[in-house]
Amino acid sequence: METANDILEKIGKPAMGVHEGYFDSLNSRLEAIPSSRTSRPGVWTGVRPYLALAASFAAIVLIGNAVLRDTVKDQSADPFAGIDSYADIISITNPEILYNDPESYFGELSDEDIINYLIESGTRTEHLAYAGEAY
Amino acid sequence: MTDKEILDLFKSGQRELAFKEIVNSYSERLYWHVRRFLCSHEDTDDLLQEIFVKIWSSLPSFRGESQLYTWIYRIATNESLNFLQKQKVRAALRFESMSSIIEERIDEDPLMGGDQLQRDLMKAIQRLPSKQRTVFIMRWFDELSYEAISEILGTSVGALKASYHFASEKIKADLKKNLK
Repeated sequence: METANDILEKIGKPAMGVHEGYFDSLNSRLEAIPSSRTSRPGVWTGVRPYLALAASFAAIVLIGNAVLRDTVKDQSADPFAGIDSYADIISITNPEILYNDPESYFGELSDEDIINYLIESGTRTEHLAYAGEAY
Repeated sequence: MTDKEILDLFKSGQRELAFKEIVNSYSERLYWHVRRFLCSHEDTDDLLQEIFVKIWSSLPSFRGESQLYTWIYRIATNESLNFLQKQKVRAALRFESMSSIIEERIDEDPLMGGDQLQRDLMKAIQRLPSKQRTVFIMRWFDELSYEAISEILGTSVGALKASYHFASEKIKADLKKNLK
């Protein structure tokens, strides 16, 4: 009886080709990667860490200020105070939808956004409504 | 140039020269490795660029805990599988089947040589579950040892042998079905 290996040997490895001179041009393109990725260290390189540190401090101060201001704000003056009270108990992914038109909210998502979300969240195609054929 | 010499060159500060040696040693091997996964010259060409960008940017953090070639193959294999996963999700959202897309690619690829039986074999390989397909491609096409594949994929040699066995049996059954 023929084994799987016998069959594979009989058929042989499928031949795939490339255009003539392809690997020469490929190597030239790949060899150029370091020069296209490496930038010369300049003044910016030296200043950048200090700027990043200053920006972090500024961000902390701004966020802290915003949070504290919201804490002491009079809630009766807030027209959305009523919605806020039940926004958290409605089982939707994003309470923001309560304040905005859901269609315009989702309209901002492109197919690529959805695909990237599904990939990053580790969603398998088997979990999608249409799973397609086994692949 | 050996992998050790390439790494020594890199450590000595001649980074671009070391990278050039990596390109010369691995570009063609990785091209075929990736092409067998993607079954498309254009996609392989694009992905290969990304793989080598990743190699270049990750090389400074390579600690030499594994061999250079297993590290490079790991990057290429992971990138290929990620690429296919993205394509699979994209196809599912368009209500298309990934396996029929790949089969179409195999049939229409002008750079795909061989007879119909060899094309059927390629299609049968693409129909395998991801893990079995990966092991089969690395063992049968790339002729890597089980030990090397084990290091690349982080799977035990026993599990790899089982995967290869199941893969070749499925291919055999698939081809026999086509021959009937």
